[in-house]
Amino acid sequence: MSDETPPNADGVPPDVPPSEPAAESPASARTTEHLPAATEVGAPRDTAPALVITGLTIWRGSRVVLDDVSVSVAMGQVTALIGPNGAGKSTLINAALGLVPCDHGRIHLLGQDLLRLDRRARARLIGYVPQRSRLSAPLPVREVVALGRYALSGGLSGIFGANRRAVDAALAAVDATALAERRFNELSAGEAQRVLVARALAGGAQTLLLDEPTAALDIGHALSLLALLRRLAANGCTVLVALHQLDEVRRVADHAVLLNQGRVAITGTPDAVMTSAHLTAAFGVEPDPAGALAFRLSEPRTQPVESP
Amino acid sequence: MRTTLIFIGAALLLGVIAVLGLSIGRGDLSGQNGAVFLELRTWRIAAAALAGAALGMGGVLMQGLFRNPLASPDLLGTTAFALLGGQIVLVLVVLAGAALPVWLPAELLLPIGCLIGAAAALAALLWLAERASGLTTVLVVGFLLAALGSSAGTLLTSLSRDQWELMRALQGLSLGGVDGTGPAQLALGAPLVFIAGLCAWGWGRPLDVLLSGEHEAAALGVDVPQVRRWALIWTATLTAAAVALGGAAVFVGLIVPHVMRGLVGVTHRRLLPASALGGAVFLVACDNLARALPTTGELPLGVVTGLIGAPLFIVVLLRSHRELA
Repeated sequence: MSDETPPNADGVPPDVPPSEPAAESPASARTTEHLPAATEVGAPRDTAPALVITGLTIWRGSRVVLDDVSVSVAMGQVTALIGPNGAGKSTLINAALGLVPCDHGRIHLLGQDLLRLDRRARARLIGYVPQRSRLSAPLPVREVVALGRYALSGGLSGIFGANRRAVDAALAAVDATALAERRFNELSAGEAQRVLVARALAGGAQTLLLDEPTAALDIGHALSLLALLRRLAANGCTVLVALHQLDEVRRVADHAVLLNQGRVAITGTPDAVMTSAHLTAAFGVEPDPAGALAFRLSEPRTQPVESP
Repeated sequence: MRTTLIFIGAALLLGVIAVLGLSIGRGDLSGQNGAVFLELRTWRIAAAALAGAALGMGGVLMQGLFRNPLASPDLLGTTAFALLGGQIVLVLVVLAGAALPVWLPAELLLPIGCLIGAAAALAALLWLAERASGLTTVLVVGFLLAALGSSAGTLLTSLSRDQWELMRALQGLSLGGVDGTGPAQLALGAPLVFIAGLCAWGWGRPLDVLLSGEHEAAALGVDVPQVRRWALIWTATLTAAAVALGGAAVFVGLIVPHVMRGLVGVTHRRLLPASALGGAVFLVACDNLARALPTTGELPLGVVTGLIGAPLFIVVLLRSHRELA
């Protein structure tokens, strides 16, 4: 594990110390003013919200995809976005990235109205990791990570000076320094996802949005990626991650948001959100105590062995 | 360092092939008309180099634009429509005859017709590509556009059978060739190639980001529609300039970027100039070959590039199949 801090040359350094899991927080510090639409359950959080989505409504044709959704993502924490297929998780992430037009609502990041910012300014604030990159060109990993600096330096960027340092720092932050000279299309799925996290960090963004980043990964690589997200959050990053595997949510998230049919069904700590009643309502399933399988990364090896 | 060496090597190779080209041909340089032959050959070598550079860069842009190593101006119908635009202009010029004002020579109109044709085909293809899913659809539609363009061109040629000069000009354009290129065509073609090439180079960085697909590129801060629009304009300009200078020289825009990508990598800032040099080397070499082969009459340039390009294309196809898989 690395203790590197993520590159934040152009990002806003977090002024809130990394918090312990929310379950140990005092009840008096509850922050519910940004969450009018849904119920907040479980122990409250004690950190300031970084990303605040208020009353977001998005229509696609005659169908409402997101209906008055309000979500608050705390600084220095991992917030998991869960819900069945078609619940609106990806749309919510895409809306925050400015990739789908919003019909109603507001999205603020550290007090800035994201919907009023232009594409480049937004990209400087938010890093994005897709489920699987569509990049198939034989580009060296170092140059892939440098693409994350596009919004900062625009057309004139090369791999020089500050750029090179930022790329190195981003690679170090995700333990991918050894991959720097490899070609992206020759990486394993797990390595590729780590490089994409580095690309998202390279621009100095302190807020990461990840859309089912573990969906294509085997359990070893998935756990390794989740451990990386936890570490980034501990170093001050704000993380909003859509996840399909509910056991991953319990493992990685400080906070969970359950979306169902375009609405926020419930928000709160993972244990409080993933109760039998809520899961039955959203997914039509309930926890099976006898059949539960849980895994963790073996010690002392914290990374799965990569195939050459 | 390796890239620098490749650039120097390609530039030296271009020089050697160009000098070699000056000595190839039917005319005797030491004879009475030696100076005239030398001048004519200089023009045609310059035209071949420019057209090759334009097609090489056009191929890079299209392969980036469609994120497909099999895209190229001639495979996807851009060349065919540039040609058709040029042919329509030639017909119009003949029909207008004396009515054409003196300040508007046919040499100036030809590139404009090519540009309109190329831009129309590319815009139609991009419009379809945004709506249809899958690369196969784009390739099939491009192939249909190419067939449509060349059929319409053949129709024009056969309709003009009673006008021998016109028919010959139309055929010459579609077979490709730089013979008879003069300073007027070069003065028009060179700025088009240089400006479009430089501008495309300037857009190299967002084009690199676009290799990750439109969704990720937009999240990284790229204004995708704007980049696509400009890349389309520069591709159309380059293809039009190449067709106006050397007619339809097929396969250059496909093979050259492929070979150069293996040598200098996929980054546009390196691949564009490398493919410009590679395209110039390839087309000047093909033109030398067209003149050196012992045939009655000169082989059209498009025939030579086709004969060399088609087998190479099979190799490229097999290799990219592995890349895409």
